Amino acid sequence: MAMVDDKKQLSGQTMQVVSFALGSEEYGVDIAQVQEINRMVSITHVPRAPHFMEGVINLRGQLIPIIDLRTRFGMPRAEHSKATRIVVTEVGTKRVGMVVDSVSEVLRIPIENIEDAPDMISGVDTEYIRGVGKISDRLIIMLDLGRVISLSEKSALDATMDSPEMVGT
Amino acid sequence: MSADDFFDRTEFIQYFRDETEELLQSIDSDLLRLEAFVDHDQIDADIIASLFRALHTVKGSAGMLDFKEVAAVAHKLENVFDLLRKDRMPLSEQCINLLFEGRDLLTGLVHVAVGDGGDPGGIDDYITRLDAFALIYESTAAVIDGGERTREDAEAHAEVDAFEAEVARLLAQQSGGSGNVDLDEAQAAMDALLGAASAAAFITPPAHDDVAEAPVETAPAAPIASTSSVVPSTNGTNAVKSADAEAPKRAVGGKNQTIRVDIDRLDSLLNLVGELVINRTRISDIASTLGRSIGSNGSAGDGVASLAKDLAESAALLARTTNEIQESIMKVRMVPIGQVFDRFPRMVRDLAKARGKEIKLEIAGAETDLDKTIVDEVGEPLMHLVRNCIDHGIESSDARELRGKPRAGTIKLNAFHEGNQVIIEVTDDGAGIDLVRVRERGIKQGLISESDKLTDREIIELIFTAGFSTAEAITDVSGRGVGMDVVKKNILRLKGVFDVDSVLGSGTKFTMKLPLTLAIIQALLVRVANELYSIPLDSVIESQRIDATDVRTVHGGEVITLRGQVVPLIRVGEFFQLANARDPDKVMIVIVGLQGRQVGLVVDSFQGEQEIVIKPLSDVIGRIAGISGATILGNGSISLIIDVHSLVAGAYQHGRNARAEFSGV
Repeated sequence: MAMVDDKKQLSGQTMQVVSFALGSEEYGVDIAQVQEINRMVSITHVPRAPHFMEGVINLRGQLIPIIDLRTRFGMPRAEHSKATRIVVTEVGTKRVGMVVDSVSEVLRIPIENIEDAPDMISGVDTEYIRGVGKISDRLIIMLDLGRVISLSEKSALDATMDSPEMVGT
Repeated sequence: MSADDFFDRTEFIQYFRDETEELLQSIDSDLLRLEAFVDHDQIDADIIASLFRALHTVKGSAGMLDFKEVAAVAHKLENVFDLLRKDRMPLSEQCINLLFEGRDLLTGLVHVAVGDGGDPGGIDDYITRLDAFALIYESTAAVIDGGERTREDAEAHAEVDAFEAEVARLLAQQSGGSGNVDLDEAQAAMDALLGAASAAAFITPPAHDDVAEAPVETAPAAPIASTSSVVPSTNGTNAVKSADAEAPKRAVGGKNQTIRVDIDRLDSLLNLVGELVINRTRISDIASTLGRSIGSNGSAGDGVASLAKDLAESAALLARTTNEIQESIMKVRMVPIGQVFDRFPRMVRDLAKARGKEIKLEIAGAETDLDKTIVDEVGEPLMHLVRNCIDHGIESSDARELRGKPRAGTIKLNAFHEGNQVIIEVTDDGAGIDLVRVRERGIKQGLISESDKLTDREIIELIFTAGFSTAEAITDVSGRGVGMDVVKKNILRLKGVFDVDSVLGSGTKFTMKLPLTLAIIQALLVRVANELYSIPLDSVIESQRIDATDVRTVHGGEVITLRGQVVPLIRVGEFFQLANARDPDKVMIVIVGLQGRQVGLVVDSFQGEQEIVIKPLSDVIGRIAGISGATILGNGSISLIIDVHSLVAGAYQHGRNARAEFSGV
């Protein structure tokens, strides 16, 4: 993964973000939480699982649950294309894959350019959003992964394992 | 403190905990053996020596880690054993009870020290009582060991007699007050007594502090012995020294060729081996596919053909080695069930005493091995079963005599291997289960209704329902209705089954069958709506292909009749809300059974048997009804494992009302 090899800067100045597309929006997650990015593989359906749970995949012998981010955010489902990717993330001890339309690049966003989420962004409930990063004229919606993978959709109690880092902003 | 220091200490503490746990267990069993010598003239010296050594090691390790209270109590107990060893103290009932109590206190303190539990309390109280108890003998011992008796000694001896009487009175008072002792009062009485000991310049420092400050080898023996002016010799100090000399000998002499390994490391090893097993299957698949394709078109060059042959051979070799590694790892994880059984002699003794019953415990098959995880889990259900035997099973001695049974009841714990399973039996020769009474209580407690027709087995199952209790009064042992439902839950979680045989008036036998291991199982693979599911083979009774016309409907649920028995059907595809077409002519059914209940699972096709490595589904997904985990197949694809327990339970819950009609058909 060449992009991870970019000089990783841990200073408080900028944040490195893996950006990806979902519909017409650009989203981002902290690179420290991204384990790897894979092409689409066959997903084993898990019956009776929560609706946004696409199933599980075999990642080198490990079972990784897969969330369909479109479904998670209440967007219409899309056919998987050549650009479709599975972003495997690590949140705490949990490893989860997320199906996204395409992965764009790794961005450095100055911390001061990340703002608290406005109440409503294009249909995505702000519950899952840590903030919005601005870089030139692009807006990157920063996800709160802890909440994205949390089973209880409206629960703010157990879902904020990655939020405290944002306190400094 | 640097990070390294901290790490080292945690490792030591971990070691201390493991080691001490074993030692406490051995102390417990030694005390039980010792109990047989109560009020005998001769005590088995080996038992005392073993107790002494164990305590000494506990004291030493605790001192090293600065666990002052542990060291202090161990030290006090050590003193008592020293007196016993020298035959300076008779082994009385009271003495042994104090020792048991001390052992328990020590266990509590060790848990506190390693951060596993809350303060057991009562340490000062206990030390005071133990001191008071031991003091008489210590001073007597000192007098005897002091050689020629001067007139003063004789005088002191007389004092000691008076002392003994007073202490005995005090002790009686204390035990009468059932633990709720006024420490100050006791201390005051002691002080008064000590002051009265004529010229004797007794100093009574708070005993445990003294030891705590010098916890290890250099401890100056019992403070009272060394500070008492009545005592010419410093006997206690010698005792401690000689014990010190013994300790290293034991360490060198005991050729115990084992090492302790963190169970997590074994788990990760097992996981890796699981991967290896999967890849081995895959390579074998590739080799045989390659062999077939070369064989069929015959056009491949000789080079390729011989390579394919080499690959097949290597694959076979790899398969053999992998199997052996897998077996070895499984063996490493095996521990004898004796680890669990060892707890029971003490528990039975204490509970039997508390209930005023005479109960013998017989243990067989303690060497039977099973997987560590199962051994860890099986303790609790066993404890509930044994408690149940003591409280409800075994009758009082008088009642037993009336029925022509020996006064002492017997509880037997037995374990043995049977095929791929371990059988554990808990048998008592008590009253047996009174089915009529159980049924009545079940009705009274609203678990069943008057009109329910229940088989004997179903009545017995009521006992395992949460909230059920036949006990008229709640005791601290049982009667709250928790316990037996825990037994059932735990056994099912371990993928085990249990059975109850009871004959009214002559006893009850609980049998549990547990798998040897939980990690790797044989499974039947089935296809449902293009997905492969695994059904654990141990719950599969048979698979059948039947005509669709044989499926009948009762009360809205589909059933078939199999050898006269009505078996409800579950269409797996529909249960899991998968889109699958029904074959209008034939139905593929896997009959699974659990606890004597059978359910037919309707699938699309059978795909053969395979050994699978169970992997839990991520907790991100949460618990899914009907799925207990997943496995990765040889070709890398994933197969979900069907949770037969939940399906069967669900089917019977649903079909409960309908069943009355089945029997009417």
